Amino acid sequence: MSPADEPVSAFERNVRTVLEQSVQHIDARTRSRLNQARQAALAAQAAPRRAWWRSLALMPAAGAAAAALLVAVTFMQHRGPGELPVLEGPHTAVAGEDYDLLADSEGLDLVENGDGQFYEWAAAQADNGESESQG
Amino acid sequence: MFEFATLASPYSMPAALHGDATLTDSSAQSRARALNQFLAGVELKAFKIAQAALRHEDDALDAVQDAMLQLARAYADRPSQEWKPLFYRILENRIRDMQRRRTVRGRVLAWLPQRGEDDDEDYDPIAQAPSPEPQPVKRLELGEAMAALEKALGELPRRQQQAFLLRTLEGMDVAETARAMGCSEGSVKTHYFRALQALRAQLGEFYL
Repeated sequence: MSPADEPVSAFERNVRTVLEQSVQHIDARTRSRLNQARQAALAAQAAPRRAWWRSLALMPAAGAAAAALLVAVTFMQHRGPGELPVLEGPHTAVAGEDYDLLADSEGLDLVENGDGQFYEWAAAQADNGESESQG
Repeated sequence: MFEFATLASPYSMPAALHGDATLTDSSAQSRARALNQFLAGVELKAFKIAQAALRHEDDALDAVQDAMLQLARAYADRPSQEWKPLFYRILENRIRDMQRRRTVRGRVLAWLPQRGEDDDEDYDPIAQAPSPEPQPVKRLELGEAMAALEKALGELPRRQQQAFLLRTLEGMDVAETARAMGCSEGSVKTHYFRALQALRAQLGEFYL
């Protein structure tokens, strides 16, 4: 039984009347915004949704991509230790020395104690080496 | 033969028969029309219900819009008789989310120092004083009646308010209201009865 069919008191009838009046008095701006919201909802409902089984159509492409990635990773892992593509050339040695210096506590002591003589000697050795190689 | 063909698995059928496509289109169109009609029929009342709960016009509009979108996206394929309780269930969840977010925001803002200075402004001794008007209010203009009713509805506990508005404004029966509220029919009757008592006490038996 809906409320309209049920026996209601005068109070309930009055409240219902006032509520219905208040709905009728909703302003045009709000009505317009509600209309826009409804149209947006209908557009969302009309938009085609991809069924889960349709995603199976992408399986071959996804499989090919996964296989290519697997081959690439396997190829990289089977290269010899001397063929590592990243740490090659003279910069590798320099970088390695830098790391050794940083890790070595004696090297840090040397820097902190400000042993200038050592740096002067090292610079002179480097200059001599360059002039000998050019000459 | 044709009958067998229509009963066969869709995977064994030709990709698109012209007649089937037309049938599907017209079915989708009629469903869209039905949904449009349903939403147009409930949107104003739903807005009023959301506004009573949230006491904020823009928030109420957002809640109704979200409920419409969710119903259209997720439940448009359901039988149209189920739409109303589903729609109001979604709307109620959205309203509850917004109220929770407000509570959290209120807690966060309470930590800010300037919030304490505004507390005095919330308390208005004149507004809090008992009304000199005789109770019950017997005669009010319609605008005043609406304002008084909205104020009284706003002071109801949420479940009572919801039960009362779904039954009185939306015209849903007890079973539909119970489905929309996610509770038993007995609870709906209790909430409705308590709401009615509170409103009578607030507005007077001879309201209007």
